[in-house]
Amino acid sequence: MRSKRKYIILFLIYKNLQLKYKHSALGFLWSLLHPFLYLLIFLAIFSAAFPSIENYPLYVLSGLVFWIYFAGATTQLSLVFIKNTHLIKALNIPKTIYAITDLGSELVSFLLGLIPFLVIMYFMGLHISFNLLYLIPVIILFSVFIFSVGLILGSLNVFFRDVGILWNTINPALFYLSPIAYSFKIVPEQFKFIVKYNPLFHFLELVRNVLYEGQGLSMHYLGRCLLITSVTAILAILIYRKTRNGFISNL
Amino acid sequence: MDYVIKLDNVSVSYLKNRSGVHSVKDFILKASFISPFQKNRVLHNVDLVIQKGDSLGILGPNGSGKSTLLRTIAGIIKPEMGSLEVKVPISPLLTLGAGIELELSGYENMRIALALSGNYHKSTRVEMIEKVTDFAELTKEQLKMPAKMYSTGMLARLAFSSVMTSQPELLMIDEVLAVGDKGFQKKCMNRIHEIIEKGATLLFISHSPNEVKEICKRGICLKDGKKIFDGSSENAANVYNGLF
Repeated sequence: MRSKRKYIILFLIYKNLQLKYKHSALGFLWSLLHPFLYLLIFLAIFSAAFPSIENYPLYVLSGLVFWIYFAGATTQLSLVFIKNTHLIKALNIPKTIYAITDLGSELVSFLLGLIPFLVIMYFMGLHISFNLLYLIPVIILFSVFIFSVGLILGSLNVFFRDVGILWNTINPALFYLSPIAYSFKIVPEQFKFIVKYNPLFHFLELVRNVLYEGQGLSMHYLGRCLLITSVTAILAILIYRKTRNGFISNL
Repeated sequence: MDYVIKLDNVSVSYLKNRSGVHSVKDFILKASFISPFQKNRVLHNVDLVIQKGDSLGILGPNGSGKSTLLRTIAGIIKPEMGSLEVKVPISPLLTLGAGIELELSGYENMRIALALSGNYHKSTRVEMIEKVTDFAELTKEQLKMPAKMYSTGMLARLAFSSVMTSQPELLMIDEVLAVGDKGFQKKCMNRIHEIIEKGATLLFISHSPNEVKEICKRGICLKDGKKIFDGSSENAANVYNGLF
């Protein structure tokens, strides 16, 4: 039974990746081009606006790569149950498997994209050391957070289709509310609380501890991220459990 | 003989959006803050015992709960009340369109279907795919095309063949044979007979009383979520015909 599940998960991940790039000429390259285009735009427009940020390209890229993982995966997950309607109605496997496979395929693209970007970051001045290994727990924690957010969106989206549309609208706003192209330091004092209540801010700080500052993890932000992830995960489990029995009749 | 499936006083309800609430906007406007969901009972106190090797036809008008009954037995929906016991491994329900990914080719879909039904093993992979291809009677060129270019009948062939070539202990079919052409229908019928002869149990939903009479020994008839008849397939077909 267990090995059967494993097969199903691996197959669905493979299927997702195939579907994603099947009919595009550039295929996998897109997952590299997407952040790269953003990066160029930011460099062209914002680098003059924020001269106070040291090594601006590295600062932007380190945040951008993780943001794109978040935005892409949550959008994908918000549709997970709707997309798999036929399978959900015919197969007796836990519905979370579909969500796990969606996250899995996004994680694979993210990790594959991270390699060339680490090379680029090296030329931008990233300090290569064992400290980079701290990225592993950060990515795991971030993925659990993304999974939880996605599971909440996906479950609610079955009942209220505007959740998905709403998320597509909120996503760009969230981008500008997160210190990706700018630094938290330049935010006026009276608005700082807005950024602080944005969960992504804490993850971005954690990522930059490693990728931008080349140091270990700040316990302060690690603690925050652990807390945020736990609360989101519990919320996700509660919402999923409450709604899962209604999926079939609403899909 | 020993039973393989036993439903004892099973009732199933669906969680339904309260009438007309399909978006957050409706939800706020209608201010139904009590709960946006409403329960809607689809199966009422169904008792059913199925023996090993039974072939059971399930008849009933549209919306009488046939598919819900099958999904409950398959464990896809949890019963609200009553108890359900299933002693055989469950294979995927045979319904239209399950697991067919239109952007992928026939071969890729075949591999996925085999994996989902638990029949995909590295060692027997090539052999299995050959068997499925044979049964589906699709050419190599067709199988290399993306499934979106298939006709409905070809899709049906693709979807059934991976299940039809396996030997499940419990075969559940939800109104799907009607799609293929006469030849393929006949082939499926023969294969179903074969699967039953080898000791499998069959649950078969159909709107054709004749099909049920041909394939099944036993038949039940559902109406408005209640079981109104349980007996030989001949009599079940008569009860069903009498409903209209």
